[in-house]
Amino acid sequence: MKILIVEDEEELVKSIVSYLKAESYTCDVANNFNTAMEKTESFDYDCILLDISLPDGNGLQVLKELKANNKTDGVIIISARNSINDRVTGLNLGADDYLPKPFHLPELSARIAAVIRRRKFDGHSILTFNEISFDTSAKIITVNGKPVDLTRTEYDLLLYLVTNKNRVVSKNAIAERISGEDAEIFNNFDVIYAHIKNLKKKLAAAGSEDYIKAVYGMGYKFEI
Amino acid sequence: MRLLKKTILSYFIFSAILLITAIPVFYYALKTMMVSNVDEDLVATKTRIMPLLQRVAESHADSNFNFPGYDIVFEKEAPAKNGDSIYGVELSGGSAEEVLPWRLLASHFVVRNESYSLQIRTSMVDKLSLIKRIVFVLAIVLVGLLLGLLIINQVLTKRIWKPFYSTLQRLRDYRVDKQPLLRLEQASVKEFSDLNRAIEQLTQRDYQAYTSQKEFAENASHEMQSPLAVFQSKLELLMQTKPLNEDQAGLITDLADASKRMSRLNKSLILLTKIDNNQFLEKETVSVKDVLLKLLQQYDFQIKQQSINVVFNDAADIAVEANKTLIEILLSNLLSNAIRHNAEGGTINILLKAKDLVMQNTGKLSPLDTQKLFQRFQKESPDTNSLGLGLEIVKKICTLNNYTIQYEFSNELHTFLVKF
Repeated sequence: MKILIVEDEEELVKSIVSYLKAESYTCDVANNFNTAMEKTESFDYDCILLDISLPDGNGLQVLKELKANNKTDGVIIISARNSINDRVTGLNLGADDYLPKPFHLPELSARIAAVIRRRKFDGHSILTFNEISFDTSAKIITVNGKPVDLTRTEYDLLLYLVTNKNRVVSKNAIAERISGEDAEIFNNFDVIYAHIKNLKKKLAAAGSEDYIKAVYGMGYKFEI
Repeated sequence: MRLLKKTILSYFIFSAILLITAIPVFYYALKTMMVSNVDEDLVATKTRIMPLLQRVAESHADSNFNFPGYDIVFEKEAPAKNGDSIYGVELSGGSAEEVLPWRLLASHFVVRNESYSLQIRTSMVDKLSLIKRIVFVLAIVLVGLLLGLLIINQVLTKRIWKPFYSTLQRLRDYRVDKQPLLRLEQASVKEFSDLNRAIEQLTQRDYQAYTSQKEFAENASHEMQSPLAVFQSKLELLMQTKPLNEDQAGLITDLADASKRMSRLNKSLILLTKIDNNQFLEKETVSVKDVLLKLLQQYDFQIKQQSINVVFNDAADIAVEANKTLIEILLSNLLSNAIRHNAEGGTINILLKAKDLVMQNTGKLSPLDTQKLFQRFQKESPDTNSLGLGLEIVKKICTLNNYTIQYEFSNELHTFLVKF
């Protein structure tokens, strides 16, 4: 899978590349508008991470060009300007997703995976990890072929951990995933704990191994 | 009082006083002059008629003596030594009740060792009525002058002040977020054209300040969020490093929490700036009840966890014409405060009634400091999750939409009342 990162903040690019490499993604980087235009014209990417404010141009222009040329690259806008206008404009121009900065790397990874699933497999994809299988279109999981009855939140949580498998996902990242903006209002760590506990219980009952590990109160990890 | 009225009133009062005092003064001055003139005439007449008189007295003719314009009476009398005297008398005229003013010169003369008294008098009626007529005409001229001046002043000032009032109206309608520049009509009066130019420059500076502030909000957001994004991403990479012991994990978690708070703080400050800049312009009809129901569902876990009993009296709904995001923020801040600052097993009462939203919660047993309540960074709890910006944002949203918000504490309930 090829990813293009259009972002001028070098250190952030390094972090993203470093995190995504573990997912067997190939990352290409464009630090400015012109490079981004050249790269998107010359190559096809599975997903493009697009910063709107670039030193020499507006990232939305890259998106417009892509759409004008009927390119099918998935696009996630990553912007520091968390304004509703930018979000609406971006999505109207055909972006697949919008992620305001600062974001959690696991969140970015999950969004990329979702975009690629949607683009490549029309959303119909079965992900399998040992005895656990995800049907991402029906949003159900099976353990050893038997469906497990999970709530929507538990399913999301499990998929989130699985997309970031073998890496620690921080409590803050999980809280934001579960409650969205509300994660900012309450310390939702009890909610996370409750959901993880239920999830583990249900998976164990269905005969799955215990893959979800707590890492020193820092976060959780799906270890496979 | 209008400036126009104020100046005219001063003019009017001054003119009226002048008129009231000037006319009698003028009358008496004129009368004094006239009397002294008549007196001189009397003396001159006496001198002129004295030779004639002596001849008439010698011939023992009639004691009446004709001289045009004057009544002259002389008669024998005991010798007297006092000199001439001139004085005014009032004598009855033709009809009994009519009394007419005269000027009288009393004198003596001696003819052949016989003393005669002499009275020369002249009627003042015509002269006084002349004075009265003069004063009357003068008064009419003065009053006419005064009225004319007032009217001209009124008309002229109205025309002259017209550009001022038009400028005032334009200024009243001016919104810095709606129009970049205020273009004002040219005024013929220098002061007003100076004023207009100054106002135009002022609005220009205002607009520049407004746009740069708006840009600052965006730039601050961008500039702060980028390093925060780097910081957060590096922390998340640090979490993946191996080996990692518990102490290190603890430190990373603390850093992650701090970075989350920084990011929230930044977002809240940007929100406040945006509200200040009135950048939430889209309006729609928002149902307060629906938003509250949605929020209650979202906060269900927290409510249950603290065993809070929520009583929602939603008999009426309040439909407001406002920006939906702002209404959601307003209600969410109030409700989350009611939850966060509540006691274990406490109560939240929500009441919708006509245009009022009442939100009550149990919690601290003493009232909050109403002076500081809605101010920035006034935190009631040591909870690090509380930024101290929530109620300021609430207040700002209320002010922006012309809602009022009140706080009171009674029966151990903290009550917030929003009047939409």
